[in-house]
Amino acid sequence: MKRVNFILCIEAYLLCKGVAAVLQRIPGASVVREFGTVDMLTHYLKNHAVDFLLICDTLFEKATDLFIEDPGLLERTILLKINPVRPEGAGKFKEIIYLTDGKQEITFKIKELLNPYFRNHREEPQSTLTEREKTIVRLVSMGLTNKQIADKLFLSTHTIITHRKNIIHKLGIKSVSGLTVYAIVNNIITIDEVT
Amino acid sequence: MISRNMPMCQAVLEHYRLLPLLPRFNIRLGFGEKCVEEVCRLNHVTTEFFMEISNAYLDDDYIPQTDLSLFPLGDLVGYLTSTHHYYLEVAIPKIERKIHQLLDGSALSEKERGLVSGFFDDYRKEFLEHVSREDKLVLPYILELEKEYMKEKPDAEFMKRLQVYTIRDFAREHDRLETSLENLSRLIIKYLPPFEDFDLCHQVLTDLSDLVRDLIDHAHMEDKVLVPRVAEIEQHLLRKSEAG
Ligand SMILES: [Fe+2]
Ligand SMILES: [Fe+2]
Repeated sequence: MKRVNFILCIEAYLLCKGVAAVLQRIPGASVVREFGTVDMLTHYLKNHAVDFLLICDTLFEKATDLFIEDPGLLERTILLKINPVRPEGAGKFKEIIYLTDGKQEITFKIKELLNPYFRNHREEPQSTLTEREKTIVRLVSMGLTNKQIADKLFLSTHTIITHRKNIIHKLGIKSVSGLTVYAIVNNIITIDEVT
Repeated sequence: MISRNMPMCQAVLEHYRLLPLLPRFNIRLGFGEKCVEEVCRLNHVTTEFFMEISNAYLDDDYIPQTDLSLFPLGDLVGYLTSTHHYYLEVAIPKIERKIHQLLDGSALSEKERGLVSGFFDDYRKEFLEHVSREDKLVLPYILELEKEYMKEKPDAEFMKRLQVYTIRDFAREHDRLETSLENLSRLIIKYLPPFEDFDLCHQVLTDLSDLVRDLIDHAHMEDKVLVPRVAEIEQHLLRKSEAG
Protein backbone atom coordinates (compact mmCIF):
# COMPACT_ATOMS: atom_id res chain seq x y z
CA MET A 1 0.00 0.00 0.00
CA LYS A 2 1.16 3.49 -0.68
CA ARG A 3 2.55 5.40 2.27
CA VAL A 4 2.29 9.11 2.88
CA ASN A 5 5.47 10.27 4.59
CA PHE A 6 5.51 12.48 7.66
CA ILE A 7 8.51 13.94 9.39
CA LEU A 8 8.21 15.21 12.92
CA CYS A 9 9.99 18.15 14.47
CA ILE A 10 9.05 18.26 18.13
CA GLU A 11 11.27 19.33 21.01
CA ALA A 12 9.56 17.40 23.82
CA TYR A 13 10.72 13.81 23.48
CA LEU A 14 7.66 12.19 25.07
CA LEU A 15 5.36 14.23 22.89
CA CYS A 16 7.32 13.33 19.78
CA LYS A 17 7.18 9.60 20.51
CA GLY A 18 3.47 9.88 21.25
CA VAL A 19 2.68 11.66 18.00
CA ALA A 20 4.78 9.12 16.07
CA ALA A 21 2.92 6.19 17.66
CA VAL A 22 -0.47 7.75 16.85
CA LEU A 23 0.47 8.45 13.22
CA GLN A 24 1.97 5.01 12.63
CA ARG A 25 -1.34 3.47 13.56
CA ILE A 26 -3.25 5.32 10.86
CA PRO A 27 -3.29 3.21 7.68
CA GLY A 28 -1.32 4.86 4.91
CA ALA A 29 0.59 7.23 7.19
CA SER A 30 4.23 6.63 7.85
CA VAL A 31 6.64 8.57 10.07
CA VAL A 32 10.00 8.51 8.34
CA ARG A 33 12.05 10.68 10.67
CA GLU A 34 11.81 12.42 14.03
CA PHE A 35 13.80 15.51 14.94
CA GLY A 36 14.15 17.43 18.18
CA THR A 37 15.93 20.44 16.72
CA VAL A 38 15.48 22.72 13.72
CA ASP A 39 19.12 22.24 12.64
CA MET A 40 18.71 18.54 11.98
CA LEU A 41 15.43 19.17 10.22
CA THR A 42 16.98 21.78 7.94
CA HIS A 43 19.79 19.45 7.04
CA TYR A 44 17.39 16.61 6.24
CA LEU A 45 15.08 18.73 4.09
CA LYS A 46 18.01 19.73 1.88
CA ASN A 47 18.23 16.20 0.52
CA HIS A 48 14.79 14.71 0.97
CA ALA A 49 11.28 15.28 -0.23
CA VAL A 50 8.49 14.67 2.24
CA ASP A 51 4.74 14.74 2.02
CA PHE A 52 4.09 16.44 5.37
CA LEU A 53 6.02 18.14 8.12
CA LEU A 54 4.51 18.14 11.58
CA ILE A 55 6.18 20.75 13.75
CA CYS A 56 5.49 22.06 17.24
CA ASP A 57 4.81 25.78 17.74
CA THR A 58 7.98 26.49 19.72
CA LEU A 59 10.25 25.07 17.03
CA PHE A 60 8.21 26.61 14.23
CA GLU A 61 9.21 30.04 15.49
CA LYS A 62 12.87 29.08 15.16
CA ALA A 63 12.40 27.65 11.69
CA THR A 64 11.34 30.81 9.83
CA ASP A 65 14.35 30.66 7.48
CA LEU A 66 13.25 27.28 6.30
CA PHE A 67 9.86 28.59 5.27
CA ILE A 68 11.31 31.66 3.55
CA GLU A 69 13.62 29.43 1.52
CA ASP A 70 10.83 27.07 0.50
CA PRO A 71 7.52 28.95 0.40
CA GLY A 72 5.67 25.78 -0.63
CA LEU A 73 6.58 24.08 2.62
CA LEU A 74 3.87 25.84 4.62
CA GLU A 75 1.29 24.18 2.41
CA ARG A 76 2.57 20.84 3.67
CA THR A 77 3.02 21.79 7.30
CA ILE A 78 0.90 20.71 10.24
CA LEU A 79 1.28 22.76 13.38
CA LEU A 80 1.24 21.03 16.74
CA LYS A 81 -0.05 23.66 19.09
CA ILE A 82 1.35 23.31 22.58
CA ASN A 83 0.90 26.86 23.87
CA PRO A 84 -2.79 27.74 23.61
CA VAL A 85 -2.34 31.50 24.19
CA ARG A 86 0.14 32.33 21.48
CA PRO A 87 -1.55 33.47 18.28
CA GLU A 88 -1.25 30.92 15.57
CA GLY A 89 -1.85 32.74 12.31
CA ALA A 90 -4.62 30.34 11.44
CA GLY A 91 -5.26 29.55 7.81
CA LYS A 92 -1.67 29.51 6.71
CA PHE A 93 -1.01 25.98 7.88
CA LYS A 94 -2.32 22.86 6.21
CA GLU A 95 -3.74 21.75 9.54
CA ILE A 96 -3.45 22.51 13.24
CA ILE A 97 -3.45 19.86 15.93
CA TYR A 98 -4.07 20.89 19.53
CA LEU A 99 -2.80 19.13 22.62
CA THR A 100 -6.40 18.96 23.78
CA ASP A 101 -7.57 17.13 20.63
CA GLY A 102 -9.17 13.76 21.29
CA LYS A 103 -8.42 10.56 19.42
CA GLN A 104 -11.29 11.07 17.00
CA GLU A 105 -10.33 14.64 16.13
CA ILE A 106 -6.71 13.76 15.44
CA THR A 107 -7.57 10.69 13.38
CA PHE A 108 -10.11 12.68 11.40
CA LYS A 109 -7.66 15.49 10.67
CA ILE A 110 -4.93 13.13 9.52
CA LYS A 111 -7.27 11.06 7.39
CA GLU A 112 -8.49 14.22 5.67
CA LEU A 113 -4.86 14.96 4.79
CA LEU A 114 -4.32 11.48 3.41
CA ASN A 115 -7.50 11.36 1.34
CA PRO A 116 -6.23 13.07 -1.81
CA TYR A 117 -3.32 10.65 -1.99
CA PHE A 118 -5.53 7.62 -2.10
CA ARG A 119 -8.45 8.92 -4.11
CA ASN A 120 -6.59 9.46 -7.35
CA HIS A 121 -4.00 6.79 -7.69
CA ARG A 122 -5.48 3.47 -6.86
CA GLU A 123 -2.28 1.52 -6.58
CA GLU A 124 -3.79 -1.59 -5.12
CA PRO A 125 -5.68 -3.61 -7.66
CA GLN A 126 -9.25 -4.17 -6.61
CA SER A 127 -9.31 -7.60 -5.14
CA THR A 128 -13.03 -8.27 -5.14
CA LEU A 129 -14.37 -10.14 -8.14
CA THR A 130 -17.57 -9.32 -10.01
CA GLU A 131 -20.34 -11.92 -10.07
CA ARG A 132 -19.43 -12.86 -13.64
CA GLU A 133 -15.78 -13.29 -12.69
CA LYS A 134 -16.76 -15.47 -9.73
CA THR A 135 -18.79 -17.68 -12.06
CA ILE A 136 -15.77 -18.06 -14.30
CA VAL A 137 -13.45 -18.88 -11.40
CA ARG A 138 -15.99 -21.47 -10.32
CA LEU A 139 -16.09 -23.09 -13.75
CA VAL A 140 -12.30 -23.01 -14.08
CA SER A 141 -12.05 -24.80 -10.72
CA MET A 142 -14.43 -27.44 -12.01
CA GLY A 143 -11.93 -28.15 -14.76
CA LEU A 144 -13.71 -26.56 -17.72
CA THR A 145 -11.71 -25.15 -20.63
CA ASN A 146 -12.17 -21.61 -21.90
CA LYS A 147 -14.14 -22.96 -24.83
CA GLN A 148 -16.48 -24.95 -22.58
CA ILE A 149 -16.98 -21.96 -20.30
CA ALA A 150 -17.75 -19.76 -23.30
CA ASP A 151 -20.38 -22.21 -24.57
CA LYS A 152 -21.97 -22.52 -21.17
CA LEU A 153 -22.25 -18.77 -20.63
CA PHE A 154 -23.14 -17.93 -24.28
CA LEU A 155 -20.06 -15.76 -24.60
CA SER A 156 -17.15 -15.78 -27.01
CA THR A 157 -13.90 -17.50 -26.05
CA HIS A 158 -12.25 -14.13 -26.52
CA THR A 159 -14.46 -12.60 -23.80
CA ILE A 160 -13.61 -15.42 -21.42
CA ILE A 161 -9.91 -14.88 -22.02
CA THR A 162 -10.33 -11.19 -21.26
CA HIS A 163 -12.15 -12.03 -18.04
CA ARG A 164 -9.43 -14.44 -17.05
CA LYS A 165 -6.77 -11.82 -17.64
CA ASN A 166 -8.67 -9.43 -15.37
CA ILE A 167 -8.98 -12.11 -12.72
CA ILE A 168 -5.23 -12.75 -12.82
CA HIS A 169 -4.63 -9.03 -12.53
CA LYS A 170 -6.99 -8.63 -9.58
CA LEU A 171 -5.90 -11.67 -7.60
CA GLY A 172 -2.32 -12.15 -8.73
CA ILE A 173 -3.08 -15.86 -9.12
CA LYS A 174 -2.18 -17.48 -12.43
CA SER A 175 -2.47 -21.25 -12.06
CA VAL A 176 -5.67 -23.28 -12.10
CA SER A 177 -4.72 -24.94 -8.81
CA GLY A 178 -4.18 -21.50 -7.25
CA LEU A 179 -7.56 -20.31 -8.49
CA THR A 180 -9.20 -23.48 -7.19
CA VAL A 181 -7.86 -22.98 -3.69
CA TYR A 182 -8.85 -19.33 -3.88
CA ALA A 183 -12.37 -20.38 -4.88
CA ILE A 184 -12.62 -22.83 -1.98
CA VAL A 185 -11.43 -20.46 0.73
CA ASN A 186 -13.72 -17.74 -0.59
CA ASN A 187 -16.73 -20.03 -0.67
CA ILE A 188 -17.16 -19.82 -4.43
CA ILE A 189 -17.01 -23.60 -4.69
CA THR A 190 -16.89 -26.54 -2.26
CA ILE A 191 -14.12 -29.14 -2.23
CA ASP A 192 -16.65 -31.74 -3.35
CA GLU A 193 -17.45 -29.82 -6.53
CA VAL A 194 -13.80 -29.55 -7.57
CA THR A 195 -12.68 -32.06 -10.16
CA MET B 1 15.28 -2.86 19.03
CA ILE B 2 18.85 -3.66 18.16
CA SER B 3 21.64 -1.20 18.77
CA ARG B 4 25.27 -1.25 17.77
CA ASN B 5 26.77 -1.72 21.22
CA MET B 6 24.47 -4.49 22.31
CA PRO B 7 26.08 -7.95 22.61
CA MET B 8 25.04 -9.90 19.51
CA CYS B 9 24.12 -12.82 21.74
CA GLN B 10 21.60 -10.67 23.60
CA ALA B 11 20.18 -9.30 20.35
CA VAL B 12 19.40 -12.82 19.15
CA LEU B 13 18.10 -14.05 22.51
CA GLU B 14 15.72 -11.12 22.71
CA HIS B 15 14.65 -11.34 19.08
CA TYR B 16 14.47 -14.88 17.83
CA ARG B 17 13.05 -13.72 14.52
CA LEU B 18 16.51 -12.35 13.80
CA LEU B 19 17.86 -15.86 13.26
CA PRO B 20 16.80 -16.35 9.62
CA LEU B 21 18.41 -13.01 8.74
CA LEU B 22 21.90 -13.97 9.92
CA PRO B 23 22.85 -16.28 7.02
CA ARG B 24 21.71 -13.56 4.59
CA PHE B 25 24.55 -11.45 5.94
CA ASN B 26 26.88 -14.44 6.14
CA ILE B 27 26.90 -14.12 9.90
CA ARG B 28 27.37 -17.28 11.96
CA LEU B 29 26.68 -18.07 15.61
CA GLY B 30 29.31 -18.41 18.31
CA PHE B 31 29.41 -14.67 19.07
CA GLY B 32 31.12 -14.83 22.47
CA GLU B 33 31.15 -11.36 24.01
CA LYS B 34 31.21 -9.53 20.68
CA CYS B 35 28.73 -6.70 20.17
CA VAL B 36 26.62 -6.11 17.06
CA GLU B 37 29.12 -3.70 15.57
CA GLU B 38 32.09 -6.05 16.03
CA VAL B 39 30.26 -9.00 14.54
CA CYS B 40 29.28 -6.89 11.54
CA ARG B 41 32.82 -5.61 11.05
CA LEU B 42 34.32 -9.10 11.23
CA ASN B 43 31.85 -10.27 8.56
CA HIS B 44 32.32 -7.23 6.30
CA VAL B 45 28.75 -6.05 6.79
CA THR B 46 27.91 -2.34 7.07
CA THR B 47 26.70 -2.04 10.67
CA GLU B 48 24.08 0.63 9.95
CA PHE B 49 22.72 -1.38 7.07
CA PHE B 50 22.45 -4.49 9.23
CA MET B 51 20.67 -2.57 11.99
CA GLU B 52 18.22 -0.89 9.64
CA ILE B 53 17.29 -4.10 7.87
CA SER B 54 16.99 -6.03 11.14
CA ASN B 55 14.98 -3.45 13.01
CA ALA B 56 12.59 -2.94 10.13
CA TYR B 57 12.22 -6.72 9.92
CA LEU B 58 11.50 -7.11 13.62
CA ASP B 59 9.09 -4.24 14.08
CA ASP B 60 6.47 -3.08 11.60
CA ASP B 61 6.24 0.27 13.35
CA TYR B 62 9.98 0.85 13.29
CA ILE B 63 11.01 4.31 12.21
CA PRO B 64 14.22 4.32 10.14
CA GLN B 65 17.12 6.04 11.85
CA THR B 66 19.28 6.18 8.78
CA ASP B 67 17.71 6.49 5.41
CA LEU B 68 18.01 3.17 3.59
CA SER B 69 18.57 5.20 0.45
CA LEU B 70 21.94 6.26 1.81
CA PHE B 71 23.40 2.78 1.45
CA PRO B 72 25.07 1.66 -1.77
CA LEU B 73 22.61 -0.15 -4.02
CA GLY B 74 25.05 -3.06 -4.00
CA ASP B 75 24.34 -3.67 -0.27
CA LEU B 76 20.64 -3.79 -0.91
CA VAL B 77 20.95 -5.96 -4.01
CA GLY B 78 23.25 -8.34 -2.13
CA TYR B 79 20.75 -8.64 0.69
CA LEU B 80 17.84 -9.30 -1.68
CA THR B 81 19.87 -11.91 -3.57
CA SER B 82 20.77 -13.86 -0.45
CA THR B 83 17.15 -13.65 0.69
CA HIS B 84 16.10 -15.21 -2.62
CA HIS B 85 18.65 -17.91 -2.05
CA TYR B 86 17.17 -18.58 1.39
CA TYR B 87 13.68 -18.91 -0.07
CA LEU B 88 14.68 -21.27 -2.86
CA GLU B 89 17.18 -23.40 -0.97
CA VAL B 90 15.73 -23.44 2.53
CA ALA B 91 12.23 -22.12 3.14
CA ILE B 92 10.31 -23.53 0.17
CA PRO B 93 11.92 -27.02 0.15
CA LYS B 94 11.37 -27.29 3.89
CA ILE B 95 7.66 -26.50 3.63
CA GLU B 96 7.27 -28.74 0.61
CA ARG B 97 8.87 -31.66 2.42
CA LYS B 98 6.65 -31.21 5.45
CA ILE B 99 3.51 -30.86 3.35
CA HIS B 100 4.22 -34.12 1.57
CA GLN B 101 4.94 -35.82 4.87
CA LEU B 102 1.68 -34.47 6.24
CA LEU B 103 -0.29 -35.65 3.21
CA ASP B 104 1.31 -39.10 3.27
CA GLY B 105 0.24 -39.79 6.82
CA SER B 106 -3.23 -38.33 6.46
CA ALA B 107 -6.68 -39.74 5.89
CA LEU B 108 -7.38 -37.22 3.11
CA SER B 109 -9.15 -38.36 -0.05
CA GLU B 110 -7.20 -38.74 -3.28
CA LYS B 111 -8.82 -35.54 -4.55
CA GLU B 112 -7.97 -33.48 -1.48
CA ARG B 113 -4.43 -34.71 -1.56
CA GLY B 114 -4.07 -33.88 -5.24
CA LEU B 115 -5.48 -30.43 -4.60
CA VAL B 116 -2.85 -29.58 -1.98
CA SER B 117 0.16 -31.14 -3.70
CA GLY B 118 -0.84 -29.73 -7.10
CA PHE B 119 -1.28 -26.33 -5.54
CA PHE B 120 2.13 -26.33 -3.93
CA ASP B 121 3.75 -27.66 -7.08
CA ASP B 122 2.40 -24.77 -9.16
CA TYR B 123 3.24 -22.33 -6.43
CA ARG B 124 6.86 -23.46 -6.35
CA LYS B 125 7.11 -23.00 -10.12
CA GLU B 126 5.63 -19.49 -9.97
CA PHE B 127 7.93 -18.65 -7.10
CA LEU B 128 10.97 -19.83 -9.02
CA GLU B 129 9.92 -17.81 -12.06
CA HIS B 130 9.40 -14.66 -10.00
CA VAL B 131 12.74 -14.94 -8.23
CA SER B 132 14.79 -15.94 -11.29
CA ARG B 133 13.47 -12.95 -13.17
CA GLU B 134 14.73 -10.70 -10.40
CA ASP B 135 18.05 -12.51 -10.00
CA LYS B 136 18.85 -12.81 -13.68
CA LEU B 137 17.38 -9.57 -15.06
CA VAL B 138 16.30 -6.96 -12.58
CA LEU B 139 19.08 -6.99 -9.99
CA PRO B 140 21.95 -7.20 -12.54
CA TYR B 141 20.27 -4.34 -14.40
CA ILE B 142 20.31 -2.25 -11.22
CA LEU B 143 24.00 -2.87 -10.63
CA GLU B 144 24.72 -1.94 -14.22
CA LEU B 145 22.63 1.19 -13.86
CA GLU B 146 24.61 2.26 -10.83
CA LYS B 147 27.84 1.71 -12.72
CA GLU B 148 26.66 3.75 -15.70
CA TYR B 149 25.51 6.47 -13.33
CA MET B 150 29.03 6.81 -11.94
CA LYS B 151 30.53 7.19 -15.40
CA GLU B 152 31.32 10.52 -16.97
CA LYS B 153 29.49 9.50 -20.11
CA PRO B 154 27.00 6.63 -19.92
CA ASP B 155 27.06 3.92 -22.54
CA ALA B 156 24.89 4.75 -25.58
CA GLU B 157 23.57 1.21 -25.88
CA PHE B 158 22.52 1.26 -22.25
CA MET B 159 20.75 4.59 -22.64
CA LYS B 160 18.82 3.27 -25.62
CA ARG B 161 17.56 0.38 -23.51
CA LEU B 162 16.62 2.76 -20.73
CA GLN B 163 14.27 4.57 -23.09
CA VAL B 164 12.26 1.38 -23.49
CA TYR B 165 12.40 -0.38 -20.16
CA THR B 166 12.60 1.21 -16.73
CA ILE B 167 12.17 -0.12 -13.21
CA ARG B 168 8.59 1.16 -13.19
CA ASP B 169 7.74 -1.42 -15.86
CA PHE B 170 9.06 -4.08 -13.55
CA ALA B 171 7.17 -2.66 -10.56
CA ARG B 172 3.88 -2.70 -12.46
CA GLU B 173 4.10 -6.45 -13.03
CA HIS B 174 5.53 -7.26 -9.65
CA ASP B 175 3.24 -9.95 -8.16
CA ARG B 176 2.65 -10.65 -4.50
CA LEU B 177 3.97 -14.05 -3.51
CA GLU B 178 2.37 -14.32 -0.10
CA THR B 179 -1.34 -14.31 -0.98
CA SER B 180 -1.34 -17.90 -2.22
CA LEU B 181 0.34 -19.09 0.98
CA GLU B 182 -2.30 -17.39 3.06
CA ASN B 183 -4.97 -19.19 1.04
CA LEU B 184 -3.24 -22.48 1.71
CA SER B 185 -3.22 -21.89 5.47
CA ARG B 186 -6.88 -20.98 5.34
CA LEU B 187 -7.61 -24.16 3.38
CA ILE B 188 -5.91 -26.29 6.03
CA ILE B 189 -7.46 -24.55 9.01
CA LYS B 190 -10.98 -24.21 7.70
CA TYR B 191 -11.83 -26.54 4.84
CA LEU B 192 -9.79 -29.73 4.89
CA PRO B 193 -10.60 -32.59 7.27
CA PRO B 194 -8.29 -32.52 10.33
CA PHE B 195 -4.85 -34.13 10.11
CA GLU B 196 -3.93 -36.93 12.48
CA ASP B 197 -0.46 -35.55 13.12
CA PHE B 198 -1.32 -32.24 14.73
CA ASP B 199 2.27 -31.42 15.64
CA LEU B 200 3.39 -31.69 12.02
CA CYS B 201 0.37 -29.69 10.90
CA HIS B 202 1.28 -27.03 13.45
CA GLN B 203 4.82 -26.90 12.04
CA VAL B 204 3.51 -26.48 8.50
CA LEU B 205 1.21 -23.64 9.52
CA THR B 206 3.95 -21.93 11.53
CA ASP B 207 6.40 -22.24 8.62
CA LEU B 208 3.78 -20.84 6.25
CA SER B 209 3.06 -17.86 8.46
CA ASP B 210 6.78 -17.17 8.99
CA LEU B 211 7.32 -17.22 5.25
CA VAL B 212 4.35 -14.92 4.65
CA ARG B 213 5.78 -12.36 7.06
CA ASP B 214 9.20 -12.66 5.49
CA LEU B 215 7.77 -12.20 1.99
CA ILE B 216 5.85 -9.10 3.02
CA ASP B 217 9.04 -7.57 4.37
CA HIS B 218 10.89 -8.59 1.22
CA ALA B 219 8.30 -7.09 -1.11
CA HIS B 220 8.42 -3.93 0.96
CA MET B 221 12.17 -3.67 0.39
CA GLU B 222 11.68 -4.18 -3.33
CA ASP B 223 8.66 -1.95 -3.90
CA LYS B 224 9.19 0.80 -1.36
CA VAL B 225 12.95 1.05 -1.01
CA LEU B 226 14.57 -0.34 -4.14
CA VAL B 227 12.17 0.76 -6.88
CA PRO B 228 11.86 4.46 -5.88
CA ARG B 229 15.62 4.70 -5.50
CA VAL B 230 16.33 3.09 -8.86
CA ALA B 231 13.66 5.21 -10.54
CA GLU B 232 15.35 8.32 -9.21
CA ILE B 233 18.72 7.29 -10.67
CA GLU B 234 17.08 6.49 -14.00
CA GLN B 235 15.51 9.93 -14.11
CA HIS B 236 18.86 11.56 -13.38
CA LEU B 237 20.54 9.59 -16.13
CA LEU B 238 17.81 10.32 -18.67
CA ARG B 239 17.89 14.02 -17.94
CA LYS B 240 21.68 14.07 -18.08
CA SER B 241 21.70 12.41 -21.48
CA GLU B 242 19.05 14.79 -22.82
CA ALA B 243 21.12 17.75 -21.69
CA GLY B 244 24.33 16.27 -23.11
FE1 LIG C 1 12.52 -10.66 -4.62
FE1 LIG D 1 9.81 -9.75 -5.84
